[in-house]
Amino acid sequence: MKSVPSHHTKRKGRWLDWIPILPFLLLCFAIMILPLFFMLWGSFTSADGQFTLQHYAEMQASIYAKSFKNSILLSGVTAIIGVAFGSVVGYFICQLKSKRAQELVTALCDVTSNFSGAPLAFAFIVVLGSNGVLTLALQKYLGWGIYPEFSIYSFSGLILSYSYFQLPLMVLLIIPAIAGLRREWKEAAFGLGASNFQYWRHVGIPILSPAITAGLLLLFANAFGAYATAYTLTEFRYPLVTLQIGFLMKGEVFRDPGAGDAMGILALLLMSISILLYQFVSKRGIKWQR
Amino acid sequence: MKKRTFGPGIFIGGFLLYMLIPIVATYMFSVATRWDRTILPEGLTFEWYKTAFADRWFLIVFKHSLVISLSTVIASMVIIVPTAYWVHLRVPEARPILDFISTLPFAIPGVVLALGLIRLYARPPWMLARTPAMLVAAYVIFTMPFMYRPVVNSLKAVNIKVLTEAAQSLGSSWIRTLGQVILPNIMPGIISGGLLVFATIFGEFTIATFLVGARFKTFPMQLVYYTRRDGRIASAYSVISFSIAWVSSLVILWIATSWAKRSSSGGSVVGKDISSR
Repeated sequence: MKSVPSHHTKRKGRWLDWIPILPFLLLCFAIMILPLFFMLWGSFTSADGQFTLQHYAEMQASIYAKSFKNSILLSGVTAIIGVAFGSVVGYFICQLKSKRAQELVTALCDVTSNFSGAPLAFAFIVVLGSNGVLTLALQKYLGWGIYPEFSIYSFSGLILSYSYFQLPLMVLLIIPAIAGLRREWKEAAFGLGASNFQYWRHVGIPILSPAITAGLLLLFANAFGAYATAYTLTEFRYPLVTLQIGFLMKGEVFRDPGAGDAMGILALLLMSISILLYQFVSKRGIKWQR
Repeated sequence: MKKRTFGPGIFIGGFLLYMLIPIVATYMFSVATRWDRTILPEGLTFEWYKTAFADRWFLIVFKHSLVISLSTVIASMVIIVPTAYWVHLRVPEARPILDFISTLPFAIPGVVLALGLIRLYARPPWMLARTPAMLVAAYVIFTMPFMYRPVVNSLKAVNIKVLTEAAQSLGSSWIRTLGQVILPNIMPGIISGGLLVFATIFGEFTIATFLVGARFKTFPMQLVYYTRRDGRIASAYSVISFSIAWVSSLVILWIATSWAKRSSSGGSVVGKDISSR
């Protein structure tokens, strides 16, 4: 007899329990979801309000196609550099005898993975700009003029400066995975006569592969969405997706809102896929390690 | 048996050089008299800092960035902490939804978020997009993972259900329970999150430049301006920016390690796993 009304109030209470979350959900809706849906809608709507695919067709124009190509290349190359060197550096950090040294290098990674944007770009101009400290030193003491083959304001410079924030991020990602490699596995492999190469080929790398894949995906997204570093170095001269979107909305009046929307949606799509895959892969990695 | 190899030394040494040279060079450049003829600076000077501080814009942009960063930290705490607490206590079925929403900002480039906000809110009916208030709202969303994750990890580390029931059986109200019982227990998460949000927003250039631009110039905007005008002043700005970022990072690390030592349950209270772009 008693359970019926209590069940009823409980159900009602459950529904009311959602109310305190509403302000948060509303903010997310107004500031994140709604604007993105508006962009999606805008990307399929012509100036006179009709449905159109023309904005996406416009993306084949050389400047947009070039931006996507450059952005994917820059993000892909720096993700691979970050993952390759970051994993090796992370492994050697784990091998350090001194716990104190390990903590220090990890702290440095933590700090430097946050150094991006304008200050980072400027630091690279100081070091490797056309009158940079290192540029002039190399010229003077080694007779090696790195310009014009290398330029901090071009693709090679972007690779170097993006790798700066990619590398420490990968080190931070890979260290927990490497710490999960058990000593017994290595001893067992060597005990059975495996060489160092065979151990890595058949044991080490397969165990680390979820972390490595996750790293590639996260680093790709991390570079693809970056803006301030590239803007400080190249302004709008070098075609990248984020710079091109910025160029389209510079000033008060939009040049081509439909193209901006289409570019934004495509960028969002690429980033979302990388981040979703990243989460999927890293969750599987965690499950596996248990 | 043990072979002596130089591999580790070369890799770690090279890595350290790559990480440290740009930072050290910027710090030295900011106090160097002249540094284009010799391998080390010719002399020491604070002239560039003096010039930077003497400009009336310095205080204005510093104040703007401070106001925006602190407002974002406070707004983020006020919105996210009670929500996360409530969801963990009373609406566990909403947890996956919130976890999912809180990772969305990772997938949204700042420039795309700015574009969406301008497209929707900078039009005649609203005209809201280009205000500092909208900038703070955008920042709360943009940095949501930085606040949400450490808070959630802290909530998981303490048994909030037992604490809440204990407080309420003694007659404590919801607000009092949250303020006097739960908050002190999840403080490390809140402070770590707050510092990360602060450091990220203080150095954020992209969203600010498109939403408010010259109407409300921030510190990073002025830094970018000087990188094109006067490298000496830009170096002073960069050093200040760097210093704020690394002091925040070190305090967060210090909180995380000292907290891990105190609590046996482990589990990082620092939710950072992606850089701030």
